[in-house]
Amino acid sequence: MAETILGIQYATREQHREAVTLGMWAFLATEVLFFGSLIAAYLNYRIWFGNELIAAARHTKIVLGTANTAILLTSSACMAMAVMTREAGGRRAPVLWLLATAALGLAFVVVKGTEYFLEYQEHLVPALNFDLSHYSGTGEIFFVWYFCATGLHALHLLIGIGMVLWLAMRIGSDRLESPSATRLIGLYWHFVDVVWIFLFPLIYLAGRNG
Amino acid sequence: MTARIIWTCWLALILLLSATTAIAFVPLGSLNLPVALAIGTSKALIVLIFFMELKASSGLIRAAAGAGFFWLLIMVALTGSDYWHRTDQRTQIDTTS
Repeated sequence: MAETILGIQYATREQHREAVTLGMWAFLATEVLFFGSLIAAYLNYRIWFGNELIAAARHTKIVLGTANTAILLTSSACMAMAVMTREAGGRRAPVLWLLATAALGLAFVVVKGTEYFLEYQEHLVPALNFDLSHYSGTGEIFFVWYFCATGLHALHLLIGIGMVLWLAMRIGSDRLESPSATRLIGLYWHFVDVVWIFLFPLIYLAGRNG
Repeated sequence: MTARIIWTCWLALILLLSATTAIAFVPLGSLNLPVALAIGTSKALIVLIFFMELKASSGLIRAAAGAGFFWLLIMVALTGSDYWHRTDQRTQIDTTS
């Protein structure tokens, strides 16, 4: 591992580790509220519109959504393996686990894109081709929310994939200076996973029993 | 953190995913949403505690991690205390006719 120099404000390596972890969690708390407001909006819609909203949610692709959730959960396990092997001082193993993480992240985006394409074909995309004569106005509200929520989540994932690939290149060429970069990017990746864990039941599981 | 813990967590997450998807097809009436959210919360806790290492973190880090979710609960509860109890008729938005 490349030798790293701590900033003068840190007395020990542990203090540095604690400080940067706290900083990352402060950022993640703002992300909780960012995505949380979307989830609060969904709960309002669900209580206001009830069965009309549930009927609209039934048009989402549950097989693709469930497969995508499994892909993202697996990517998080790979990320945890990358952090573990990196903390143990490895170089080759973390790079391979990071590449697996990024590949699974890309797979998620491809599946998500396929869903968007199918929804476009079914005239479910508000502002582009939403078919009000087939689906209700409440359905359009649901799909506006759906594209905002999943689009913002996919954007976060694309940023994560970029960071993971950057990290893999840095570790692979032994040019990584921060001793905490892998753990911090790992925290971000797992957080994006947590967001999806909550989006999944709200989007795909509503109205499947009727 | 060991590889054994990581893959045990992964297995638990996949089993919970299977369970929540299966339960979604069971008619539970208004209970479906709370059950789905409870299983989702369990999955999120596994990720937070083990993958995000809150188990091995100091109290300061845990407090910072919990703060975001705590404020989110305040936001949802106060929003809901208004909107979820309105009894006035909502405006008709269906424009199909």
